[in-house]
Amino acid sequence: MRTWRIALSTAGILLGLFGVFRLFTETPFSHLLWLLLWLVAAVAIHDGVLSPLVVGIGWLLAKTVPPRARRFLQGGLIAGGPITVVAIPMMLRQGLDPPAKALLLQDFRVNLAYLLAVVATICLLLYALAVARKDAVRSMVGRLGPGS
Amino acid sequence: MSHTKVTERPQRWPAFTSPIRSTALTARVGSLVGICFLVCLGTGLLSHYQYRPWSWLPEPASPVWLYRFTQGVHVATGMATIPLVLVKLWSVYPNLFRWPPMRSVKHALERLSIFVLVSTALIQLTTGFLNALNWYPWPWDFVSVHRFLGYVVVGLILLHVGVKLPHIVYGWQAKLPEADVLTEIPWSENPNAHSNACDVPPPATTALSRRGVLVAAGAGIGTVVLTSVGQTVTPLEPLGLLAIRQWTKGPQGVPVNKTAAQAAVVELAQSADWRLQVAGLQAYSLTLDDLEELPQVEADFPITCVEGWSAGAHWQGIPLLEVVRRAGGDASSRVRVVSLEPDGLYSTSVVEGPQVTAALLAVHLNGERLDVDHGYPLRLIAPNRAGVLNTKWLGRVEVN
Repeated sequence: MRTWRIALSTAGILLGLFGVFRLFTETPFSHLLWLLLWLVAAVAIHDGVLSPLVVGIGWLLAKTVPPRARRFLQGGLIAGGPITVVAIPMMLRQGLDPPAKALLLQDFRVNLAYLLAVVATICLLLYALAVARKDAVRSMVGRLGPGS
Repeated sequence: MSHTKVTERPQRWPAFTSPIRSTALTARVGSLVGICFLVCLGTGLLSHYQYRPWSWLPEPASPVWLYRFTQGVHVATGMATIPLVLVKLWSVYPNLFRWPPMRSVKHALERLSIFVLVSTALIQLTTGFLNALNWYPWPWDFVSVHRFLGYVVVGLILLHVGVKLPHIVYGWQAKLPEADVLTEIPWSENPNAHSNACDVPPPATTALSRRGVLVAAGAGIGTVVLTSVGQTVTPLEPLGLLAIRQWTKGPQGVPVNKTAAQAAVVELAQSADWRLQVAGLQAYSLTLDDLEELPQVEADFPITCVEGWSAGAHWQGIPLLEVVRRAGGDASSRVRVVSLEPDGLYSTSVVEGPQVTAALLAVHLNGERLDVDHGYPLRLIAPNRAGVLNTKWLGRVEVN
């Protein structure tokens, strides 16, 4: 394990330094400053806005939605998240380029709505199935009577 | 090693209680993220090689779909990695609130390396995706910075794996539902952690299970891949609700990266005075009628863009080698083709090695005369060759 750790860390540091060296020697200084701003902003937005938002939604769900329903709601949000993250930049850029490029010609607001509707429907169906199964078990237990 | 007691933390400090987070979950998602970045680095370097091959190792001409495959993988993997990284970062978010923030110089350096890793990974994925959307809201040169950041990201991932290897091994060895909960307190310092007190079971998840998180995230990411990859796996285009490009909507069934209007060649390309100038030992020029009389061949070569879209296409044209031979060259010649485009990064390209024999100077695409947006009157098309290197609106061929 120790050998592996040293080997991986050393290779990683060397490759990373090579990248930094190329970056600093082949990029104009003003561009490096912009890049630095983007890098810091990315972490600030992720750690300061996006993550607290996700934690907050999770906390709110735990407070307000009973566990069985929450499971499917959480699943739906986790599945819908990746789709939304990718679709939003497409929505912002759709229809701006010449048609011959065949680039972002669709209405991604509508497409996102379709996809999220499919996710929601699947989650609702799974939830309904879980409820029905529980009811079936309960009625079976009821027929067999207490103590069985 | 000095352990900081939980009670020494500031009174108001975030406490993460969700039992879903666990090193076992992080190890699984994180390993996948690492593999994805390695795949992107490998395919990315192959793509850079397309643009600057060593003359002693030119790009092969077969398989014709090689670049189509590697670059399709690069962009599809990169897109899938965006949400994957978000899940990975969500799973370790409590680590941001470890107390004290820095306990030694070594610990400070590790946290710094993680800061740089997270920032470069996020920027790498975001700018790569926006590049595929032809959206450039930054001043720097995308191609070189994307490559150098790729080295930094993968280097820092290797370092991160080296530092965290014991945790990764623990995470993979532990059963997903039973592994320790990941909170802002490291399990090694938490007397109530399952691993420290075997009679204490890990808290059970109340709603969604850890496996449920993986399944739901996998379904979402799978949907992104399935609905976007039709831009290169062409039979899947009907599912392409998130496809950036749609090959069926391009002129003659092939999308265009730069239109004739954008290249400012609409008039030049359609001028009656157009000639193909051929420079070499025996210089000559050809009119469109001359070209039509030369022997033509047909070939199926995909057109593949660095941005990740591609489409198979049927071409008809004059073998480049035929034009080269008439100028006194042969299959070992180094050929430079020059566009009518007044300026532009890709207004010329060099063909050498096996591609000299395989390339066509195309006049027809999918059974029709080339559309002006596809390079009328004449364009280069070669197998296993990045899209923009298949120079359009040719005005000149130089045989060396």
